[in-house]
Formats: sequence, structure tokens, C-alpha cells
Amino acid sequence: MTDSNTHHAESRPATEPLDVAAVADLCGDIEANVADVIVGHDDAIEHVVTAILGRGHVLLEDVPGVGKTMLARSIATSVDCTFRRIQFTPDLLPADVTGVNVFNKQTREFEFQPGPVFGNIVLGDEINRAPPKTQSALLEAMEERQVTADGETRNLPDPFTVIATQNATEPNRTYDLPFAELDRFMKKLELGYPDPEAEAELLGRTVGHHPIESLEPVTDRETLVAARETVATVRVESPVREYATRLVGDTRDHAHIGVSPRGTIALLRAAQARAVVNGRDYVLPDDIQTEAPVVLPHRIRTTDRTRDGETIVANALERVPVE
Amino acid sequence: MSSPSDSHAGDRTVRLDLDAAVGPKTFRLLAIGCVLVLTASYVSVLYEVTRIVGGTRELLALVGAMFVAATVLAWAIRPRTATIGAIAAGVFGFAYYLEYTGVGVGIVRSAGGTILADTAALAAGLPLLRMVAADVWVLAFVPAPVFLSWYLAVRGRYALSIVPGGVALVFLVLTGDAGTVETLLGTLAAIGAVAFGDLEHRGGSVAHADLLAVLFALIVVLSLSATFVPAGPETTGQFAGSDPGTLEGTMDFASEQSGIGGPVDLSPEVRFTVESEQESYWRTGIYDRYTGDGWIRTGENIAYDGRIQGPPGEYDRVRQVVTAETALGVLPTAPQPLALEGEFTQHAEVSRHGQVHPESPILEGDQYAVESAVVDPSPDQLRAAGTDYPDAITDDFDYLQTPAGSSSEFEARAAEITADADTPYDKAVAIERHLRSSKGYSLDVERPDGDVAEAFLFEMDAGYCVYFATTMVQLLRTEDIPARYVTGYTSGQQVADDEYVVRGTDAHAWVEVYFPDHGWVAFEPTPGDSRDAVHSDRVEQAREDGSENVDTETSADEPVSEINETDTDVSEPDENDEPSADSGTDAENETEPADAEPDDTEPGPTADSSDDDTDGFWTQLRERLTVSRDTAALGLVTLVGLVAGAYRTGVTDRTRRELGLYWQRPRGDPDRDVERAYRRLEYVLARESRPRERSESARQYLDALASDSDATIDPRARTVVKRYEQAVYGGGIDRETADETVAVVDDLTRATIPVVGRRHR
Repeated sequence: MTDSNTHHAESRPATEPLDVAAVADLCGDIEANVADVIVGHDDAIEHVVTAILGRGHVLLEDVPGVGKTMLARSIATSVDCTFRRIQFTPDLLPADVTGVNVFNKQTREFEFQPGPVFGNIVLGDEINRAPPKTQSALLEAMEERQVTADGETRNLPDPFTVIATQNATEPNRTYDLPFAELDRFMKKLELGYPDPEAEAELLGRTVGHHPIESLEPVTDRETLVAARETVATVRVESPVREYATRLVGDTRDHAHIGVSPRGTIALLRAAQARAVVNGRDYVLPDDIQTEAPVVLPHRIRTTDRTRDGETIVANALERVPVE
Repeated sequence: MSSPSDSHAGDRTVRLDLDAAVGPKTFRLLAIGCVLVLTASYVSVLYEVTRIVGGTRELLALVGAMFVAATVLAWAIRPRTATIGAIAAGVFGFAYYLEYTGVGVGIVRSAGGTILADTAALAAGLPLLRMVAADVWVLAFVPAPVFLSWYLAVRGRYALSIVPGGVALVFLVLTGDAGTVETLLGTLAAIGAVAFGDLEHRGGSVAHADLLAVLFALIVVLSLSATFVPAGPETTGQFAGSDPGTLEGTMDFASEQSGIGGPVDLSPEVRFTVESEQESYWRTGIYDRYTGDGWIRTGENIAYDGRIQGPPGEYDRVRQVVTAETALGVLPTAPQPLALEGEFTQHAEVSRHGQVHPESPILEGDQYAVESAVVDPSPDQLRAAGTDYPDAITDDFDYLQTPAGSSSEFEARAAEITADADTPYDKAVAIERHLRSSKGYSLDVERPDGDVAEAFLFEMDAGYCVYFATTMVQLLRTEDIPARYVTGYTSGQQVADDEYVVRGTDAHAWVEVYFPDHGWVAFEPTPGDSRDAVHSDRVEQAREDGSENVDTETSADEPVSEINETDTDVSEPDENDEPSADSGTDAENETEPADAEPDDTEPGPTADSSDDDTDGFWTQLRERLTVSRDTAALGLVTLVGLVAGAYRTGVTDRTRRELGLYWQRPRGDPDRDVERAYRRLEYVLARESRPRERSESARQYLDALASDSDATIDPRARTVVKRYEQAVYGGGIDRETADETVAVVDDLTRATIPVVGRRHR
């Protein structure tokens, strides 16, 4: 793992946004590259890529061993970014995440020893196994994109994307993420098991030499930053905004707790990134519809056990008029 | 949540902004207008009655007075007082009516049940025109509803004000006097009054009026499809001669009315046979009230009680035995019947005028004996009879009635014809002679508009017995001679010394004139010769054709016309110069198309059958194309309702969209144009496969169509969708692209027009 650019706090770069078509091509390249390693999860790859472009964080919830870590790593490698991994355990402390000031005997000064959160792409593995205090250290970093240790605030590198995984199999030995903190993830994805063909392919590839070892970057960090600037310029016309509002409103009408305004913002951002991936500089309702099933459900609480967030969102998509 | 039209499409809605122009004041005027129309609807029915029986001026004056009184008193007296006053006026009016008709008010106490029964009879479909002294009845009837409804309308109580008017109208509907148009108009006006009154009180807007129009139209359509209006007299039973296309059917189509038709047919079938030592016309009906287009018998029949009053003077008793050869709705007798014998005589009824009628049609083979009083005064005796008519004849009956508004020309002509005559008898003979000599005989005549008697006297060259008899009666009445219109059969074919066979062709109408001390004497204004010819031709024709029931065992092979022409001066009842007549021209094509049935092939005296067919065709066509005023009015109401309904249900919007589908007017804004173009495309696609789900985006819709239907989606459609997205979501589109897109959609939509589209593809 490299930690070359974790030291200096980066100011917001005045990077010129790229052409939409160029970004779309870039995304295609990244996805193709990652797909060499991750087999059978093309949709998930695209979702992660759009999340990165849309300045969001991703929560992967799944059983162990379906390639969550591999996905995060291969994306990080493809875009030539630093990749950090934090394995959350019940005894992990906040300082283990953010970093600590260490006394340097030679300089007789305290030096900041950055924690693993200082990376472009940070994998928080099994985040629900750490106690809430530690969880919230990461989640604060996600929201603020900066870390405060001993009164000193340090910016996190740009881009900064957290891909957290959650283990859904051992509920009695985990600390469930608080609802408010779940909201900070732009998307919650479930990879699921690959289908038989994909799994056979996967086995073929990984026997002997793992393809991640030979994975080469297809772009660099600066280009990625520029691409993110491009996404920010994507046009969202009022009909689309209204559609998003209607959709979100519908979830509020039909659930105990519906999607928050933060969720709406996340939805539009994801849709912007999706539009760029599809080579458009404006958002269509279609983009909203593609993103809604991964952006909205984890922000919804129902009291009724027969319906979960996914059902609510699916119903809303079926019910809410597009225009 | 915002509605979908909040985006671009929203500001295109056209709003009807008439609310400012239509305020409570307008609604008040409309409501009052509706009350007026309701009033007019039933007053017009009553007016029609008075036009026939007289009293038109009194009626209008009374209605006017009631309006004035109601307006003046509107704020002076309280509703309760007004109601009591109106009811009191009504009661007083009917008391006067009872007194006038000689029944007496006292009867109300002693025979309240009978009065109720009479009212019920009236409400069960007895037309007003059959009432004795209908003019007085009308004047008694009208003040209460007019006063009360107007009083309430002025006070703004519209819902209440339609109650008296509505009751009056419903009553007239039940009597069968109010026609469909009056009923409809009254009903609509009543609803309108309530609705507009409500709009006034609650400050409704004109936008609600379209719903009202829909309701109106609904009522019109409903009332046209469901005939709750009893439509006057009951229709004929299924007995011989009841066919409305025949002369018998026209004359006796209902037992208390006798119509005057247009062209008629004759049935050559044998109706009945009579054994009688004396030849006579066989009378079946007597009518006294003339409406201008038909005859009505006033008063109710009473059950036959074994004896009928005979004529005042000398008479011979003549006994006849009548055998029905087919089912009959009448009881033919020689005038004047005195007594009946036979099984069913306990079911016979006697009219006020002295003619017997069967309660229900008698059957084939039924036989009855009649004793009749035959008066046979000499001309000198009749000349000497004078004019000292009993009050009963002049007052109780309508034997002197003429419709109001008969022209002075008619009176002048009557005076002219009878100028040389001094006595009623001479006048009658003069009129009879005039008619017989100046008019021809034809069954094929167009029914004139307006007063039949006047039209026949002044305009027509020919007619049949109904026209002659009607005109003669009216001429006599104009000269103050009591006369009445009678129907029945001529003596028929004499097959033995004392036996006569009477056929449908013998149906006839003639005249009876009253002479003091002698009673009713028959006159025959119809020229005999030409009637004979037509009659016998018809029977011979039927015999040749082998039609059934043309002959009895004894009548076959006998010549039908047994003309022993006597002088035409006095047509005595025993005069036998009137063999039956009437040819079978058929222009009543509505009911009887000109086909090859024996009944119909019989031509008129001059026409041959091919001409007849052509005539029939044109007549038919003309009748089809003629739109009566009523029909036009109903059509208009229905149309207005349909338009309002269409507006209400959005059909107009849809039609506009449909028309706009194939042609798009540039609106100046390219984004709008493209959006609109896409909508047209979507509309066409929806028609061809399925409409877009509301939750479906444009491209999803297109993809879904492409995948789940076998209809191939034109690749240009995808381009259109992209342009649409660009215009709506992508921040706009330039003019050139917009025009191009519109052109593409023009092509795509026009390709779907049935005939044109094929060429387009």
C-alpha cells in the first residue's frame, strides 16, 4: 500500500472539468478493467464507479467471500489511487482509524501519524463489528472529508471514497449502524453470489495467479478528480428535480420514516454521475430510476415487517408519474 | 406533490372565464324565465283546448290577470295566505264548473266518491277535449297554478314555485293532452328553475351550467326512449278495420275520436251481415266536437240499461239482426237504436249521443238484434220544423261548436251557399247539393294543414266522405243549425230481400242534422256515382285476386253495385245509393310499403299501379326528409346537451388532440414544438399498441414497445425521443432540430392515417 500523498492536506483543486464523452469513455475503461478481476457483478461495478464520481460512499452488505474487498481494491488500482483497508473489530479504537500524534524523540515534537482513513479509497471491512464510537469516527470523516485529532483539523485526500462492508450473517455479534449514519452512505449494494457461469469463469481466472496482481491503472488520480468536476456540471432540469421530489415524497407517504433530504441530494448526485456514465450532460428520469433502488432503500424505516425499503422504493417507482 | 401538468404543459389550459359576466342577476333572470316557460307549457295545452271549444280570450285574460295579481301581491301577502287563496280560487272554479254543467255543487257532498272517480278517470287518460263544457273547465283550472307559481317565483322561491306548475303539467300529461314537446319543455324548465335558482342562492358559477345542459339532454333522451306520456287515447284493439292505413282505421281508430287522414286504403273484406226489412246506413259512431283536424265525442259512455231514448217525433220501429263476420270494435245499427237483444248486450255501452258501443270488441259469429227508430219525415214536414231547438241540444252538447278562429271567409261562403234557403232544411239541402256538385271523389288526397273543413271548401278539388261530412257539418253549424258527424257503413250489398252484406269498403261518414219534433235526420254530402265506381272496382279486384273473406256464401257472384239512384235532394237514412267506395291507393307508406299485396295493388280511380309505386316512393322519401318543428327542437336540445357533455367529459379536448395529431402549428418555442411533437408520437403509439404508463419514461416506453410487441418501432421514433429529452431535460434544443423533429413526427403520424397513410409509407 502506498501512503505517498497522505501527509499534506489537499486544497480543493481547480481542475478543469472534462468532456462528458471523455468521462464516459473513462468510466467504460475502468469498468472493463475491474471486470477482469470481478466477474459477474458489472452492475455493482458501475454503481461503485458512479458513486465515486458522485462523491459518495458505498456500503456493501453481504455474506463474506463474495469479493467485496476485491472490488474495492481493483477499482482503487484501476484509477491509480491509494487504497487503505481498515478491518473493524470490537476492540478497534477511533484513533486506530484517524491516526495519532506520536512523540518524536529526535525532533522532540509530536508528529501526526495518519490513520488508515487517509487514503483515496478506503475499505472499511465489517464496519458493524466495531463499537459505535469507532464507527462514528469513520462516518464523521466521510461526511466532513476531514479528520480532527488533538485539536488539529486535517483534510482528507481527494478523491475520498469509503467502501464499507457489513456482515449480515452474524447479527448477534455486531453493532448495527445507527440509522443517521447509514444515511451518509450514498448507496447500499448487495453483491450476491455470482451465477454459475460467472463463478466458473472466476475459478478459471483465479487458479494459480490472481488477476489483481497484474491489474494496471487505466487512468490517474488527476483525471478522476477532473471527471468528478464534470459530474458536478451535469444539468438537472426542474422536471427531473420534481420527479425526484415526488419519488421521495412517495416513500415518506408510505413508510414510517421516508427518505431524508440528504437522500434526495444523494439521489440527484448519483443520477448526475449515471448520466455522465451514459454520455449525457443532463439527467433523465431514467437515471433517477436506475439509481433510486440502491440510493433510497437503506434510508427508509418501516414498522410493517412485510415491507422493507426495497419494496417501498419499487412501489414508488411504479406509482409515481415521470412527468 | 405537484401534478404532472405543472411543467411545460400546465399553462396551456384554456380557462373559461365567464364567471365575471354571469352573476346572480343573470341566474335570477334565467330562473324566472324557466318558471315562465313552465307556465307557458301547460297554458299552451289549455290554449289548444280553448282554441277548439272556445274561450281563448277569456283564458289569456285570466292568465294575464293572475300574473298581475301575483306580482302585485307577491310581497303583500304571506305564502300561506297565497296558497289558501289559490286553493280557494280553484275550489270556487270547479264549483262553478259543476253548476254550469248542471251537476250541481251539492253532489260533492252526496257523491264525493263519484267526483273522485271522475277525476281519476281524467287522470287515467281521458282527454280534456272529451269533457263536457271543456272551456269552463279550463277557466276553472288555470288560475290557481298560474297565480301560485308566479307568486312564489317573484318571491324567489323557485323550487316551490315549480310545484303548482308541475302539478298542473303532470295532470295534463296524465289526461294525455300535453304532447311530448310541451311535457319536455315544461320538465326542462322546471329543472332549470330549480337549478338556476340554486345557482343564484349559492353563488354558483357558469361552469356548473354545462352539467345542467348534460342533465337536460339526458332527460330529453330518456323521455324519448321511455314513453311515460300516456299519449292520449289508447290505441286500437286488434279487431278488423283497426289498421290505421284504412278508411275505417282512420275514422274509428279509437272509440271516442275520429281522425281525418290523408290517403287511405279500403279493405274489401266482409265485416258483418244484416237482416233487415228496411235498407239503411249502419251507424257506428257519433261525434260532436270538431278540433279542426278531427272529431271527438264528448262525455263518457254509460252502461246500456235496456232502453235508449227515441226521437221526439213519430218514427217507425225497424228490427235488424246483425251478424259479425269478423271481430268488430263497433256495433252497427240503423239510426236511432232503441233496444238491443243479444248475449253480450249487458256489456254494451251507450254514448251520450245515443249510439251503442261494445265494451270490448265482439267476435266473429256474434249476433245481436237491434230495434231502431227510423224517422222518415217529408221535406215539407222538415221545412216546417222551425228553429226552436231544445236547450239540451244547443247547450249540453257541442252540436253548434266550431273551432275558435274559423275564418270569416268560411262564414261568408256558408252564407253565400245558403243564401236562397229560408229554413234549416233548405240550407242543409243547399249545402249538400253544393258539396256534391262542386267536389270530386278521391281516396288519394293529401291531408291539408290547418282546418280541414276550410281547406276542403276552399282549396281541395276532391276528397272522400270524411272531408265531405266534416265540411258540411261545419257549414251547418256556422249557420246555427245543430249538426253532427256520424260514422258507420253504407247499406252494403243486398244479397236477398232483407239481407245485406257489408264490407270494409262500405265504411262511410255522413251528417246528421237536428230538426225539432223529428230528431236527427241523415244527410249525404258525398257524391254517390264516383264513390260507387271506386267501391265496386275494389271488390271486383279483390275477387279476381282471390282474396279471402271478400264474400259470404250468398254474396259471391252478385254484382256489388246495386245502384238504384234516387234524387240527390234528401239523403234519407234508407237511401241506398251509396254502395261502398274507396280505392286502395296507399301512400301511408310508413306502415304499409307498396308491395304486391292484394290490398295495396288496387289503384286509385286514375292511377295505375306502376305510377302508384313511384308516387309511394317519393311520398315516402318526402316524409322521411321532412323534419318537423318538434323534431328540430328536440334535436337542438339534444345537440346542446351533447356538446356540453362532451366539454364536461373532455371529449372536445380529445377531439382537438386528435385533430392536432396530424398537423402541428409552430408555436415559436422550439422546446415546446419538440415536446408537442413527441406527444403526438406517443399518442399514435398508444393507439397502435398501448399507452405509456405514467411511471414510465419516454425511452422506457419505447424500449418496452420494441421488446414486447411485434410492431416494429421506427428508428426515427428513437431520435424523436432523444430530441424530446434534450428539449425537456437537456436545457433546450435549437430551432432547426426542432423543425426537423416536427417533420419526422408529421411523417410518422400521417403514416398511421388509414388510406392516406398507405400512400405515405
